[in-house]
Amino acid sequence: MTTTGLAKTGMIDFRGVNKWFGSLNVLKDITLSVEPREVVVVCGPSGSGKSTLIRCVNGLEAIKNGDLVVDGQRLGDPATNMTQLRTEIGFVFQSFNLYPHKTALENVTLAPIHVRKIPRAEAEKAGRELLAKVGLADKVNAYPAQLSGGQQQRVAIARCLGMRPKIMLFDEPTSALDPEMISEVLDVMVAVAEEGMTMMVVTHEMGFARKVAQRVVFMDAGAIVESGTPDEFFSHPKTDRSRAFLSKILRH
Amino acid sequence: MLENFSFRTIVEYLPLFGQGLITTVWLSALSFVGALIVGIVLCAMNLQRGWLFRVPAKAYIDAVRATPLLAQLYFLYFGLPRLGFVLPELVVGILALSLNSGAYIAEIIRAGILSIPRGQVEASVASGMTYVQRMRLVVLPQAFKVTIPPLLGQAIVLVKDSALLSLISVAELTRAGQLLASDRFMPAEGFLTIAAFYLLLYYGLKGLAGVSSRWLGTAGART
Repeated sequence: MTTTGLAKTGMIDFRGVNKWFGSLNVLKDITLSVEPREVVVVCGPSGSGKSTLIRCVNGLEAIKNGDLVVDGQRLGDPATNMTQLRTEIGFVFQSFNLYPHKTALENVTLAPIHVRKIPRAEAEKAGRELLAKVGLADKVNAYPAQLSGGQQQRVAIARCLGMRPKIMLFDEPTSALDPEMISEVLDVMVAVAEEGMTMMVVTHEMGFARKVAQRVVFMDAGAIVESGTPDEFFSHPKTDRSRAFLSKILRH
Repeated sequence: MLENFSFRTIVEYLPLFGQGLITTVWLSALSFVGALIVGIVLCAMNLQRGWLFRVPAKAYIDAVRATPLLAQLYFLYFGLPRLGFVLPELVVGILALSLNSGAYIAEIIRAGILSIPRGQVEASVASGMTYVQRMRLVVLPQAFKVTIPPLLGQAIVLVKDSALLSLISVAELTRAGQLLASDRFMPAEGFLTIAAFYLLLYYGLKGLAGVSSRWLGTAGART
């Protein structure tokens, strides 16, 4: 079980990770390594454990056993400062989770100012640039309630980028959006990926996967069933379960 | 019938009512501040993971909510001296109101904090905030807004509850009504007048609630 002496490989390293919710084995013996600058798309049916998988990476969920090493630090190790590690990991939620009492700019600058201790003026300058980058230069002073879902999710991505993270995790970032807003969010995610961000993305957006992902991981019932390049996976799925899953999401 | 109603006596007793009103206002205000402190401390204890603080806080809140304020007041006023603590009636009164209202306020604040969606906590955790930072920057500012209206409701209850202090001879508003009723045998005049003054206080506090909610409403609280 110990990792000492093992050469560290990936930016995110799952080795034999298990997790239970009560008696439900939600992650079964997960072994997965994500290299720096790699984009990995995680897909699978509802309840397959894909959200839980990425929520373990920044410790929103704790693992039961196995090893999970992120940016060279072992989770659950007393020597690992989780608060510090989390500043290096951006997390984009399905439901955005913007702070409703803060403007778009304040959402982006809150953690840089208070956690990273960046001077306010500098953080605001960077925040404005990030909001411009996600196409929301004119919404700097808007409150989340005044923004559409797609706009809120773009603010949420800018909020993560404001921390200058090494890793970005996306938990179904477009699932709560109206169809016409999905592409504006995906465009921003593609731009982030092209800048060389290490990313794990839970999504069923195949266009996105084909465009930027190096690897697609298919999960079912808590286990990784198949993993391969987007082209291999979407065109030549190897298992019955992935074929059944793809036939359902591709039919429409 | 109405010709028996003596406005003249009411006017004659106005200075007494005025003094009673002033006493009711400041002792209620003081009690409310005390209750806020008691409530914040109890709520902080109640939100702890460990049982050491949580269990006593819950027991206290249950005990206060399950027993009549009058019994609590009499315990402090008649009971404590027998146990060796002799306090002036005003202090006993303010103490009783603070300790009583504090239990309700603890639950109001707790409900406010728990009403903040889990996603807000997760977002702040994910951005690397410490417990203190996420309480200060994310949870409490939002909880504060939902807590203000029920807190003002509790303030109104406290003002009405302060009438019980007349029973331990604190010279507050209800006591003034009692004096008029017993000195001149004019209970209608006495108690109707104090009712009018309580109504006045009620509208004052309600106005305050309206102003504060309008003020908070413009601060981008909409979700």
